[in-house]
Amino acid sequence: MFYHISLEHEILLHPRYFGPQLLDTVKQKLYTEVEGTCTGKYGFVIAVTTIDSIGAGLIQPGQGFVVYPVKYKAIVFRPFKGEVLDAIVTQVNKVGMFAQIGPLSCFISHHSIPADMEFCPNVNPPCYKSKQEDNVIQEEDVIRLKIVGTRVDATGIFAIGTLMDDYLGLVTQ
Amino acid sequence: MADKTMPISVPSEKPFKLVKWKAKEGAFVSYGQILFLYSDSSGNNNEIKKYKAVRAGTIITIKVKEGDIVEPGGCIADLEECRHPTVMKEMCAECGADLRAEETQKRDTAVVPMVHSVPELKVSEELAQKLGREDADRLLKDRKLVLLVDLDQTLVHTTNDDIPPNIKDVLHFFLRGPGNQGRWCHTRLRPKTQEFLESASKNYELHVCTFGARQYAHAIAELLDPQKKYFSHRILSRDECFDARTKSANLKALFPCGDNMVCIIDDREDVWRHATNLIHVRPYSFFQSTGDINAPPPLPEENIKVPSGKNGSQVLASNPMPTLDAEPDKETKEIKVKEINENDSKPVEVENGKIAPIDDKTSKSGEKENDQDMPSANSNVPVWVGTDDGQIEVDDADDYLIYLEDILKRIHKQFYDMYDSMGRYQIPDLKFIIPEVKCKVLAGASLVFSGLVPTHQRLETSRAYQVAKSLGADVTQDFTGNTTHLVAVRSGTAKVNASRKMTDGKKKLHIVTPEWLWTCAERWERVDERLYPLQRGGQSSARRPPAHCSSPPPAPPMMRKRTPSGRFMDTINPLLSFSSDDIADMDREVEDIFNESDESSTDEEKKPQDDLDDEENISEDRLLSLETENSSQDRLRETEENEETSDSNTEDGQKPRKRPRPSTPPSDDDGPPDDDDSSWNLMGAALEREFLAQD
Repeated sequence: MFYHISLEHEILLHPRYFGPQLLDTVKQKLYTEVEGTCTGKYGFVIAVTTIDSIGAGLIQPGQGFVVYPVKYKAIVFRPFKGEVLDAIVTQVNKVGMFAQIGPLSCFISHHSIPADMEFCPNVNPPCYKSKQEDNVIQEEDVIRLKIVGTRVDATGIFAIGTLMDDYLGLVTQ
Repeated sequence: MADKTMPISVPSEKPFKLVKWKAKEGAFVSYGQILFLYSDSSGNNNEIKKYKAVRAGTIITIKVKEGDIVEPGGCIADLEECRHPTVMKEMCAECGADLRAEETQKRDTAVVPMVHSVPELKVSEELAQKLGREDADRLLKDRKLVLLVDLDQTLVHTTNDDIPPNIKDVLHFFLRGPGNQGRWCHTRLRPKTQEFLESASKNYELHVCTFGARQYAHAIAELLDPQKKYFSHRILSRDECFDARTKSANLKALFPCGDNMVCIIDDREDVWRHATNLIHVRPYSFFQSTGDINAPPPLPEENIKVPSGKNGSQVLASNPMPTLDAEPDKETKEIKVKEINENDSKPVEVENGKIAPIDDKTSKSGEKENDQDMPSANSNVPVWVGTDDGQIEVDDADDYLIYLEDILKRIHKQFYDMYDSMGRYQIPDLKFIIPEVKCKVLAGASLVFSGLVPTHQRLETSRAYQVAKSLGADVTQDFTGNTTHLVAVRSGTAKVNASRKMTDGKKKLHIVTPEWLWTCAERWERVDERLYPLQRGGQSSARRPPAHCSSPPPAPPMMRKRTPSGRFMDTINPLLSFSSDDIADMDREVEDIFNESDESSTDEEKKPQDDLDDEENISEDRLLSLETENSSQDRLRETEENEETSDSNTEDGQKPRKRPRPSTPPSDDDGPPDDDDSSWNLMGAALEREFLAQD
């Protein structure tokens, strides 16, 4: 799910940037340091929308570095258990398939793929195919899945998905 | 495993009416899914409540029908809990349960990582067996086998050195490292690789199995197979290897039902623990200064010597590898190969250093002549020729993949012939079939060796004997009525003379050089004997099989053994930590050794690590070299030693021949420190061993 929330971040700045462009540098540094990261609590920071305030910089004793507390708003993506999302299949193998939902990787076990779909390793690329051959899921396809579990680490989130529910599976355009 | 069936009991204290089931018998329900709707049976409160599953699992039996009244404590349904047969990052991939939280479930969780490139994804033993069986059935149905393909020096050769950007058919790619660093890799595909893959993929399911890092392995696979039709995602790299030294540890996980349909091609036998289903390929070397950039550390328990047999055609193609393999160190790039052409008494210097003609870093010393001599000296070594369009054309005579393709076809045929004859009930085992196929190569031949095995060594223990035996030939000490071949190192021995008399008489007895045997072992086919005749007065120096014909042991890191004290600190820069007495001592020692060897013979066949081998091996080498005449010479020497010994040499004035000086100083400051990881790793390994040894 996407949220637009207020977040805080501390920017550590080298003294060489002290000058007329100082605040621009702080902003630039915020974008590079924050966008694309992932925290367990808020999920993936997709984009910084506004920078609300750049607080007073605090010079670190003995170092000369300065710390700016920055308040900003950002769009974050936080996956939840039970959420239904569209994903792109990245890898298909005998144990299941991997899919990508933007920055989020997701695994769908063979068990969670409808039982009438079988793994066909001999075609290129390998795919899951239903017996009537009317339903084929292979790499690069868009599927709709439901998240049944998430693993939240310090550096990223990984999800377990399922296709075993109504209206899940291949998304046909 | 404990019985995981648990009853779903009534969630309220009063009787209630089950309004509607939301789940079916046999259906899988996840945690929090609505199982049924119910309401108070007393009728006062008609509010319908939902009952959600408190555990994930499968509903086995539903015991209460819709509309029934259920007493408190009554069992509504039986639910079999999820056994977590598939686990991804310690999360059950079926019910989504976090297995880190459920400590009690730990012992039942899945342990087999079945997917090559995703080690975090594990399945239970049971499921692995099932998937393995399905795989085996499918392969049998398609009449295919599994082929594990090594990359480095088997199908490709990659270097990190600076090379000219305009060599034809060399692919360049950049691997991003941690931070903003990275390295450029230059890869040359072995000639006929595409044809080989195309042909092999008809009979085999191809898997990549390499000690390269994951990023590297995938990059190479992308180059070899951009459409992913050969390898798909079946790429196993160092990141997924259980063991840093062997690849065999992963076999059990990839093929849970046994590896009897698995065939392996690799240039290193030791990483597979000398498995019998391995086809040991001739290492492919294109960039002569580089060995296998992804070689694993050598196995400590192995103590076999690297064979030092050489001849004009193979010295550069095969011999540098075992050395460079284990020691991708800057120092080794300056190893000198000195050889004298067999037919020509004029000494020819061949420098096994950097790609001499083009690289300006190394073209300082006398490598210009090398440029012209190389083509005539070696047929198997790529020849660098500049062309008009600015591209450097490379004449690469390596044709090994053609033979390998043929070997694989024969193995495939043998397997399915046997499978068909076994009535499809059993699956034959490639671990027996492959040696069997190899045994047919020289079946019926009976060999006698002359000058090949030192007199003090028993015939059965010699490498040549083992090579011949593995090819199915019979080897006898002396001539018998059945003898078909005499493998002689040089003419003029008693056996050669005897055989020449014999050939005048009845049937034809082939007199061949050892290269014939090595070539047979390399190609797995009976090579025409007429190609390897023993010349009168001729002399072959290929006394020992080339590395790939038998088991090549990895070279031990030589810098460690070089220091007399054996201390690691000395290996960094010996001169720093030695007192002047120490250094004088060392000089004396080297001088002594060198004088000795000069007296005994001038044509020691030595590889760098032979110099460092234990006493026994050295003496054996001397014995060998005593036997040989002085017409052929090979020298591989480490630079440092070269420097030291050249001084002593001029003193005794025995050998006026010019010794090659190192073309670049042995200091290793000529590269950024980060691209030299491998040598640091080696040092680290040496340090570790030292600490262990001290206990």
